[in-house]
This record gives sequence, C-alpha cells and structure tokens, in this order.
Amino acid sequence: MNRTQRPLILLALLLACLPPPAMRSAIKPYYGGEIVIRLNEPSSFHLNTANYSNLIFYSLIHESFFCLKKDGEIGSNVFQEYRYDAAAKTLFLTLKDNLSFSNGKPLTARNIQVSLKVFMASNLFAASRLSQAVKSVRIHEDRVAIELLADHPDIVSLLTAPELVVLAENEQSFSGLFYPQEWEKGRHMILRANPYYAGGRPYLDRVRVTFSESPAPDLFLSAPGQFKDSFLEFASGIYQNVYLCFLQPDIGQNTKIALYSLLKRFNEATGWRFRDLNSLTSDDESPIAIRIKQLSPQKTAAILKTSEIKLYALSSLSSMEKDLSAYLMDTKLKIETQFIDNSEFASFLDSAAIKYALIDKIFQTKAPAEEKISRIVKESSFNRFNAQYLRMISELDEARFSNSQALLIEQIARISEAVVNDGFIFPLFQKSYSLYVRKSWPALEIDYFGRPLLQKVSKNHD
Amino acid sequence: MKKAIGSLLLFIILAAGAWAQQGAEALVLECAGYLGAFFKNRFDVRVAVVSLENRSELGDLAMQKLYQMLLSRLETEKSIRLVDLLVDFSDGTGKFNLSRAHDLDFLLDLRLIQNKSKAGLGLTVFSRLQDRVVAVKYFEQAISKGEMDLLQAKHFAFAAMGFSKLLEFESKEDLMDIQSIAGDDGQTQYYFYYPDEIIVYTAREASLEKHSQFKLKWARPYHPVLHPEGRLLLLRSARELMLTAGGNFSPYAQVLTLRDGQWQEAGRVDFVPLRFVTLNQNPYLVGARFEEGRNFFKDRIYFLPFRTPADSEGLQYRRICPAMAIDIASANGLLQAIHVIDRDYAYRLFSADFEETTPLPEKKGASLAALNGEWLAMSDHSRTADQLFFYDIRDGGLRPVYSGKIAGEVLFIAAGTWQDARGFWAGVRQQADGMVRLLVQFWGKRDE
Repeated sequence: MNRTQRPLILLALLLACLPPPAMRSAIKPYYGGEIVIRLNEPSSFHLNTANYSNLIFYSLIHESFFCLKKDGEIGSNVFQEYRYDAAAKTLFLTLKDNLSFSNGKPLTARNIQVSLKVFMASNLFAASRLSQAVKSVRIHEDRVAIELLADHPDIVSLLTAPELVVLAENEQSFSGLFYPQEWEKGRHMILRANPYYAGGRPYLDRVRVTFSESPAPDLFLSAPGQFKDSFLEFASGIYQNVYLCFLQPDIGQNTKIALYSLLKRFNEATGWRFRDLNSLTSDDESPIAIRIKQLSPQKTAAILKTSEIKLYALSSLSSMEKDLSAYLMDTKLKIETQFIDNSEFASFLDSAAIKYALIDKIFQTKAPAEEKISRIVKESSFNRFNAQYLRMISELDEARFSNSQALLIEQIARISEAVVNDGFIFPLFQKSYSLYVRKSWPALEIDYFGRPLLQKVSKNHD
Repeated sequence: MKKAIGSLLLFIILAAGAWAQQGAEALVLECAGYLGAFFKNRFDVRVAVVSLENRSELGDLAMQKLYQMLLSRLETEKSIRLVDLLVDFSDGTGKFNLSRAHDLDFLLDLRLIQNKSKAGLGLTVFSRLQDRVVAVKYFEQAISKGEMDLLQAKHFAFAAMGFSKLLEFESKEDLMDIQSIAGDDGQTQYYFYYPDEIIVYTAREASLEKHSQFKLKWARPYHPVLHPEGRLLLLRSARELMLTAGGNFSPYAQVLTLRDGQWQEAGRVDFVPLRFVTLNQNPYLVGARFEEGRNFFKDRIYFLPFRTPADSEGLQYRRICPAMAIDIASANGLLQAIHVIDRDYAYRLFSADFEETTPLPEKKGASLAALNGEWLAMSDHSRTADQLFFYDIRDGGLRPVYSGKIAGEVLFIAAGTWQDARGFWAGVRQQADGMVRLLVQFWGKRDE
C-alpha cells in the first residue's frame, strides 16, 4: 500500500463504518428534553398578544379555538367537528371527548362558551366583528351552537384570531401545549409539557423561556438577515408598529409635534432600532403618507420646557423602558414615563385622565390592508372613537365586498385622512422580525402568525 | 498452499452455480430490463403480477424461484412500486390476492412455455387506468437439464427462513394491534384494535371480511396523543371470551367479556396487559404501563393475579428499564423471557427471573413481538427504509434467520396467525406526496 492509497482506504473504511443517513433517525420519536426560548418577560399569565414576543409566549400556554397553518389552512385541536348549518344560521362546534386542562380538570363546552364571550367582550377589532355577527351562544352536552344574526358561511374564519383561546375558570390551569411551572422574575420561566394537551402531548418535556442573554437561546426573535451560520431564519411576516396617541382633545398641536419629534430623535439616539413609519399601517401598502415635520431640538425643548408630561406606555414596549427613561432624563424635560400592563390599560383609561400614550400593534404582512386600518381605528382610538369612525368602518366593510379595489383604497385613504386630521394618533416606528432557530432543531415550523409550532419538535437523540 | 486450493475449489463451485443459473437468470433479467425501460419515465407506478402460469417443463418450485428472482429485480427499479400479491403457486398456476387490484396502475400477466429446447416467457402488461393491454413481449432462453434440476430442488437450507409476506392490505390510520382467537364456531377471528373501537374480521379466502365491531369508551384522565400505541390481549377464562385493551392515552386498561353476543365491562386494571401466563399454577396478567401520553413504557413489569371482575388488587412488579417496546415470550402459558427495546433503541433481553443478558450486543430496533417461545420479530431503527428481522429463540438465544425489507415504517408488530400459518402482523406506515397510508402485512411461515 503506498502513501497515496492509505488515506483513501482509511477514508473508505471510515465511510463504511458510518451508518447511512436513514439509519440515524429513529422511527419512534424521542420524548424528552428542553428548548430554550428568549422572549420579553410577560407581566402575567393573562392573555395579552400585543407584541410578537407575547404572541409567541401566550400561544404556548393557551390553546386557540382554531389554528391557522402558514398557508392559511384552518385546523383545530379542540374540536372533533365543526359544521355550519346555513338553514339554521348556526355554527356547531363539537368538542373532542375527555379533554382536560393542564391540571386535569375537565375542559367542557361551558369553558368554550365562556371563553367565546370573554373574547367578544374585548376591545379588539376581530372581537367586535364577531360579536356583531353572533346572536347567541348555546351549549348542549359537548356541543356549542353559535347562532348568527345573518347567514355567514365563512364564520369560522372569524374564530381564527390568536386572541380567541380556551380559558379555564381557574387561573392556574391552562389549555396550551405547556403550562408554567416555575417563574424566576427577571431571569427565566420554566414551562412543562401539558400531559392533557388536546392535540397530543408535545415531544419536549420543557421550555425554558429566558429573559436575559444566558443561557444561549435555541429560539429567539431579531431583525431579519442575521446569524446565518448556526441558525435557521423564519421570515415571520410579522411587524410591530409604534404609535404616539393623544387621548384628550385639549392638547395643543405644538405640544403634540414636539413630543413626536422628541421620540423620533430617541430612536436616532439609540441606534435606529426601529424604521421610520409614515403611515398608519405600512409605508409600502398605504395610499396615504403621513409626513409630520419634525421640530428642531431647540424648538422642541422650548415648547416642552413648561409642560409636565406623563407618558404612559404599554408593557409590550417594556424592552425600550430603560433607554427611553434615560434619554428623557438627559433632556432635562419634565417628562415621566409609566409602563402599564396591556390588559390593565383599558381600566386605567377609565380611572385616570391619560393624555399621552405610547402604544404598539403587531400585524401580519399577509393580512389585508383594510383589516389593519380597521384594527387601528377600533383598537387605538380609545375614548376618541365615535359614530363617524363606526360609519367609516362600516363603509370600509361594504367596499370590501364590492370587489372594487379602487373603492377599497379610496375608503382606506378617507379613514387615514380623518385620523390624521383628528390628530389623536401619530405613527412613529416600525420593526420587522424574523424568528431564529438553532440548526439542531430542524423539525420546527411556524404558523400563519409567525409563531413556532413546538408540538412535534424533538431533539435528535440517536 | 492448502488455503489457496480451498479458495480455488470454492471459486470453481461458485462459478459452476452461477453458470448453472445462467439461462433462468438471463430470462428474468431480460424481462425485468424490459419492464424497467417500459416504466422508466413514469413515477411511482404501482405494479403487480396478477397472473402466473407455467406450461413449461419446469415444476412449481422452479416457477416460484423465477417469480422471486423477477420480483427482486423489479424492486430495485426506482420508478416502480411493486406489490407482491402472490398467495400460493401450485399445479402450474399462481393464486393471487386480487382484493387490492383496484389500487394498482399496471397488472402483469406472465406465462412460461416450452419452445423445443428453450423456455419462453410471455409478458402482457395491462393498464388498469386505460383499461387495455399496453404491451406484449416474449423472451426466450435455453435452460439446461442441470439448471432445471437445480431450480426444481427444494432448498431445505431456507426452511427455517421461511418467513415471507403472505398478506398485505390497507387499514384505516391509528391501528395499534392485531390479535386473533378461535370463535365459538371454530373460525378464527381477527381483532383490529384502534383507540376508539375494535373491529373483528374473519378470513375469507385470501382476504378479511368484517364480522363485527364495537366502540371503546374511555373516561378521564385521558391523554390525547400524537402517536397512539396500545395492546390488546384475548383470552378465555371459564369458557368466556375476554379481552383487555390498554394504551398510552389512558392510565387504565379496560377488561371486557363477551356475554350474549355483547361485549360487557368486566373491570379495569392499572396497566396494559401483554400476556396471560401461569405462575405457580395460578393465572396472571403480565404487562407494563405507558408513560401517559408518550410512546414508551415505564420501567416495570406488572403481575396481577387474574380474576373477574378484574381490578388491580394484588398488583406486583419487577423492575426492568423504560422501553420503546416490550413483549413477553411464553410457551404453554409459562413465562420464558422478556424482550425489550429500551429508550436508546437498544435491544435487551431479560430472563424469566429478570436476569439481563445481551445475546445481540449493539442491536438496535424500534418494535418487536415474540411468537410463543419460538420466534422473535424486530423492526429496524430507521425511518425511510425499514426492515423486519426474524430470530429463532427456541433454544433461549437469538439466532437470526431472515430479514425482509419494508417500504415504509413499521409502527407495531404483533405475533399471530393467518389462516394456518403462524407469524407476525406488522403495521406499516407509508408516506408519499403528503399522503399517508397504513398497510397491514402478515409475515408468516408457509412451510409449517
């Protein structure tokens, strides 16, 4: 054997010893293990899907009535059958047999009825569309009958909102894939596999949701186009818009623009973490561009120096809390920030005379522009919502069914114009997200809302 | 020098064998080559021989060998999905299970004739979709007298390896186990166990005919699962037919008894019974518990004195290891050994007194089943190209005797019988173009 032949023969022997690729994957999937996910720390287990991070977190512990696959196909882990009876104008949902919440308590048609009513009472655009269509919700044994006011064969599509989830009477029981087991505030949360999960127990035993840089996460959100070497990137199609809202009619235009200019400069000062947003939804799909001329730093300071401003911000924006507070302190202006849990914001509005609010909304790129604009008007106008907006949204609905794209765009433009003229909401920033998954977790997929589907994810064991 | 002579002799013997097979092999190669070219530009065509006749000087045994050689050649063709429907070949004619013919794309008719000193093979290809004959071809080769004799010879060397696929058909998804028992009329009944029902079949010629079915009602705690797994046990106690049914979705197993033609509740037990054995002259249910909602057993084997109505009083256990698959080998009702695939997919064997031995070190698998104390079937550890391995366990060890390739994944194996043949049922999952189907195969010994 000569020197050239020897390495070749050794290589051949080595290759012969290696099992072929098919041999390396076992037929029976391996149950066990943990995945580490980095998300923003939630404020409670109460459902709050205001930002992308929350959208993911709450999808792990609360099960949706209906799930939307990435291609938009509708499915359900909770119902064994759903059938629309056009003659009775009723949607019948039949629960799977013997379902339970994470603590073993029965999951019944009553829970479905209550969860549906909780959702319909919420201040969400999807909820108001549904509640406008529903006449009554009745239950009989394991069946829920949703009677409609008018024939609506596509009613199931209104039940696919990620906020429509199965809620338990007890706050310590959950319908999702996992349930919270341990929460070390500021550090991490351990979620355990729900042994009663309606769709079948996941392969993983645990999810460690980390709120800090360590341990290194297997799954996290970040701006697109990074980490190519060790992570798979999923283009989620999700973007987050940040708006400045003025909730009282007595705020002067100069103050509004000065505060707007200040916040724009905050983004610049902290390294352009967000893109500029010059429309209500997204600059590339909006028929109207909203250009608000920024004031110079000197003029901003001059306008705001005599004001005492309390800026309320949703907790879903808490990732900017530290930087924003520091930046405002540097300006030496009397601007105080207070972050409020999203779920408590509505009650705060009733009890306090809030003037300034920093809010965010997340949108799926694929969602139609008319749906997004309706959501903004319905969910972000707060106490400024009036009959004029209600009429405009109804007209938008009509335009949607007219099959005239020109009419639709015109109506979107009219609403945008009205909102801008009323001056209660100024678009500030936008941020797109990708979901990054370590390459050792190859089976992971995402759903329509860009949420990771962890049920069938397992680490290679053999 | 001795080594060199030995090698030379061996070479001459092998070469002579190869020469002797040349005519038959050439005939098969020509035919397979033609079919390979015929189906070359198609994808995943389902093909089966449905007619096989012999009018040559060759006997039935030789004809079967030619058929097997042809099938083995065609199985290597990428464009063809070959289905073996042959049930028996005798008196010059093949008998086929034609119940699945409607699933096929092309049907093949083969006829062997004698043309003076040569054997001729006539091939007719029928397209089921076009409903017409699409090709007719004739091949001819001389088969010498010596070769004929060799083809005719019964190969006793393969007698022990006689496991072959005797039956195959499609089932609805989620089938977990198959067991059989003689009914009151003496006819064998086949019980197909699904998570929510049991369907009973009887044999009718080369296929199964539904006899009855009944629903299984489960109660909470209930664990929905991604992969249902369960085991069914049929037994006779005081002349009553009884069954136990358990799975990974429930912490208890149902015990039912057949009275007045109806299956009635006869208790429940807190584990999944695998076998009914006699210990110290007392009847026992022996089994294991699944990890709730998951696809593996906990690390204990349970023993329960059997009585009706059944409950879990007197339940005892011995520790083994968490297991992906477990079966209890028993002979004449006596426990002989416990065969296990552990959570690292390694095969492990425990004796009747729970001593562990390693007859097949490094052997990995996924599912297994023991047929009495005589045979063990084990599936491979791979996903796309699975295999079944058969072992002779009669002397207490494991002697590999045969392996068969499986197109798909073996989900479960169960020991049983099909008509007069003993062997193993295998549930095989096949997936192509996003479509999933479950095939049931019976691998048995024709010569027993």
